[in-house]
Amino acid sequence: MTKKENLLKGFVKENPLFVSVLGMCPSLAVTTSLENAIGMGIGVFFVLVLSNLIISLIMSNEKLAELVKPVRIPVYIVVIATLVTIVEMFMHAFLYDLYLSLGVFIPLIVVNCIILGRAEAFASSNKPVDSVLDGVGMALGFTGAIAIISIFREFLGAGSITIWGSLSINLSFIFDFLGMEPIAMFVQPVGAFLSFGLILAGITAIGNKRAEKLAKGVKANG
Amino acid sequence: MNNGLKAGLVLLILGIICGTLLATVNYLTADYIAANEAGAQFNALKEFYFDVEDDNYDSYELTDLYGLEKRDLEDDTVDSIFILRNKDNNDIEALGYLVSANGYSGDAPIQMLIVVNSDMTIQGYSVVSHKETTGFGADIVSNDFNIDIISDLSGFDSVSGVTFTSDGILECFNIVSQRANGDFGGGLDD
Repeated sequence: MTKKENLLKGFVKENPLFVSVLGMCPSLAVTTSLENAIGMGIGVFFVLVLSNLIISLIMSNEKLAELVKPVRIPVYIVVIATLVTIVEMFMHAFLYDLYLSLGVFIPLIVVNCIILGRAEAFASSNKPVDSVLDGVGMALGFTGAIAIISIFREFLGAGSITIWGSLSINLSFIFDFLGMEPIAMFVQPVGAFLSFGLILAGITAIGNKRAEKLAKGVKANG
Repeated sequence: MNNGLKAGLVLLILGIICGTLLATVNYLTADYIAANEAGAQFNALKEFYFDVEDDNYDSYELTDLYGLEKRDLEDDTVDSIFILRNKDNNDIEALGYLVSANGYSGDAPIQMLIVVNSDMTIQGYSVVSHKETTGFGADIVSNDFNIDIISDLSGFDSVSGVTFTSDGILECFNIVSQRANGDFGGGLDD
């Protein structure tokens, strides 16, 4: 796999949320606004890239890898927990509003399946540069996916999209035009599952159509 | 060497490295974190006396109106008391209680600032920090709990669906209710 493929596979082809369906719990919980999704994405980005790099560095050294292998999962967890705590401290110190907004979901990044999954499935058996590219691609893919869910939920549930702080787009005129109120259910937990299901169904339908077209093309060419 | 011992040593060394790294980051960020926490407390207090929507809000200083003193307490529930004295006669005009109680999140309490005037009316209240579930328990921070006088909590309106968080908030009011009268009556001078 080329470096470019390593980077890009997380965007669509192996998107951690929409294809692998990993890291659902924090994803559904924080997608009440785009701002929360971006904040979560920033946190996951740093943790995923750095954990992939550190774990790959450890595992690419043969002697070190041999020592670590029997206890590799606890080692991964210690590394990830340390990185998450560092991210939490920095957010608490320098991004206080975001820290308050994300609340309990920052420490929960420790148990986000995407991070542990990439450490075990990719970083432990690939070179550091490839692992960093994989982390960047997966984190961006994850951020994009939760951004899509949050835009969908916030628009339908609140009639606006909060980009960052006081910067937001008010789309309530669409609801005024339709003569209805925003559907508050979409910013509630039930709306998270509903939104995720609808988006996933849409993506699957598009994927099926493309596969169908591809199959027809192959048949026509003989 | 025994494999189990080797594994233990690996984890011990990793723990020491990670612990040192965390101690360093803590050393670098502790002052900023403390400043943020203090800033949030003073901002919450300021909001009760000035209109946030006012264009000049940022230029108002609480200390222009009151002699302001923060007293930290060695108490499980009341973290600090802000004492606001009338600058003319030095009487206590209001007390701001920074109180904590457990909500839904077991590992971090809800911390509230409740400001009580000397006539026992509530000037305002605000959730200063919490770790309740985002978008659920957290929505309660801007809720009106229908309490105007600290000595009468019978009208407390809890919010359905977030029972534990509501209980935590009521507990904060209870703590203040139990001690406000004594504090205004000279209890703080002890």
